[in-house]
Amino acid sequence: MTLNGKRPDLDAIIALIPPKARVLDLGCGDGELLARLIHERHVLARGVELSEANVRACIARGLSVRQGNIDEGLADYPDGAFDYVILSQTLAYLDHPASVVNEMLRVGRRAVISFENAGYWRVRWRVLRGQGVGSDLCSGEGRARAITLPQFEALAACVQAKIESARLFADDKPVRAFPTWQARIAIYVLSRAQAMV
Amino acid sequence: MLVKTQYFHYDGEIRLQSGATLGPITLAYETYGRLNNDRSNAILICHAWSGDAHVAGRHSPDDPKPGWWDDAVGPGKAFDTDKYFVVCSNVIGGCGGSTGPSSINPKTGRPYGLSFPIVTIADMVEAQRLLTDHLGIERWLTVAGGSMGGMQALQWTVSYPARVRSAIVLAATARLSPQTIALNEVPRQAIYADPNWNNGDYYGKTPPNAGLAVARMIGHITFLSDTSMREKFGRRLSNGSEGYGWRFDPEFEVERYLNYRGHSFTKRFDANSFLYLSKAMDYFDLSYGLPSLADAFRKVTAKFLVVSYTSDWLYPSWQSKELVRALLQNDIDVTYVEIDSHYGHDAFLLEVDRLAELTRDFLKRVESAH
Repeated sequence: MTLNGKRPDLDAIIALIPPKARVLDLGCGDGELLARLIHERHVLARGVELSEANVRACIARGLSVRQGNIDEGLADYPDGAFDYVILSQTLAYLDHPASVVNEMLRVGRRAVISFENAGYWRVRWRVLRGQGVGSDLCSGEGRARAITLPQFEALAACVQAKIESARLFADDKPVRAFPTWQARIAIYVLSRAQAMV
Repeated sequence: MLVKTQYFHYDGEIRLQSGATLGPITLAYETYGRLNNDRSNAILICHAWSGDAHVAGRHSPDDPKPGWWDDAVGPGKAFDTDKYFVVCSNVIGGCGGSTGPSSINPKTGRPYGLSFPIVTIADMVEAQRLLTDHLGIERWLTVAGGSMGGMQALQWTVSYPARVRSAIVLAATARLSPQTIALNEVPRQAIYADPNWNNGDYYGKTPPNAGLAVARMIGHITFLSDTSMREKFGRRLSNGSEGYGWRFDPEFEVERYLNYRGHSFTKRFDANSFLYLSKAMDYFDLSYGLPSLADAFRKVTAKFLVVSYTSDWLYPSWQSKELVRALLQNDIDVTYVEIDSHYGHDAFLLEVDRLAELTRDFLKRVESAH
């Protein structure tokens, strides 16, 4: 990520999760968020992670995690298995974001999705200066999409999800005015607008 | 670590999955470490096709070879015998001291041969359950195994859900694939084709070693991978040979390896046991008679650690994923890791460092849950 390894969205996500919820974290990395959710919220925590090294790190933290890609991870769970399905800082790397969000709302009652806003003014400024969007080519990171707030809201609409709340941050401060320009990090909570037919 | 094989005798009969009965039964077993006061540290290790009760340690100080999984079982190892009481028993149908086709049928006074009934993975577990009662173990902390051993671990969670806190299932499956059944049938045909096999009636005569050796060679091919064969043998010729010999003797290093492994196997394994155990695996299908595999795990409460290996083509990762999915559909706590390894199916025996880390972390969590 382009956040110098810091994950300012984690505190905000934890604040969203009620105690003892059933939580699935997609792309849970080394398990930091799940471990904090267990400690601070006493949740029932499950994770899906692609990398063997990260899965082993999760197991070392005492987590119950399965190795696999997010598509496999979701398909394996029955409907409504979780209260919250979390996708933190991973949306930009998905090949098929709409189907993943759709599946998140099948296996969970709510989906919590955080991403970096590509409409953030500093990002726009970088683009204007000809420095491009996303991580630099030497970083070794995978290909990522640039996602803006209107794009995300269009995605929510196309999978018939209701936006329950949106938390928008620039650094650590909530954003009030001109969010499409001012927000660096967005955290959306989605639910199913109505039962899918 | 010195260890002695012990024998448990059961005078009754057990009813087998096929409906036939078997008894009396002897089970060869070994134990390592000490059972704690509340009997909560007992681990059952289940062996694979060619294994036996001698999982670790040596039988005497000058014993040239330790048990078959000595790298993983012992003080400070993956299955730490300083902490845990580890038990391993030879399966019924085997030839490592437990009742099998080479045992004397008490009704006739002669070896069973093909009159030995077909046994299944569930029957092996049933015999182990008798041993478990005999040892006074109410609940295993974990039942662990690779390959056919993993099938037994799975079967334990299904047959006796209240007696298994967790299962460690390595390089295994909940039901054999047609490819694996095929890879079992060819070795069987090799044994049938050996005239010395004589429909299983060869005890006291020349055993069908040629057939059994070919059978084992096929097995060894399936235990390796394309990559591990290239790394281990390449196209090297054996005996430091510089060029081709233009004859049919085994020349390539890989041929020499297979011949050596095949023939040394005949000195320690009974051809009929080989047939019976392969059949037990072919019949293994936890979804047999059920609408779906998920239905097999409805009453299961154990926590699972499922491990597959990227280059294993005998029990490929998709089979472990199928198992994981069936477990998740029952809201069972399952941890799944696919270890990146070139060793093929053998990886479960060889990748012990990563396994040690996983089992230590997994068992810590199992122990901490009430």
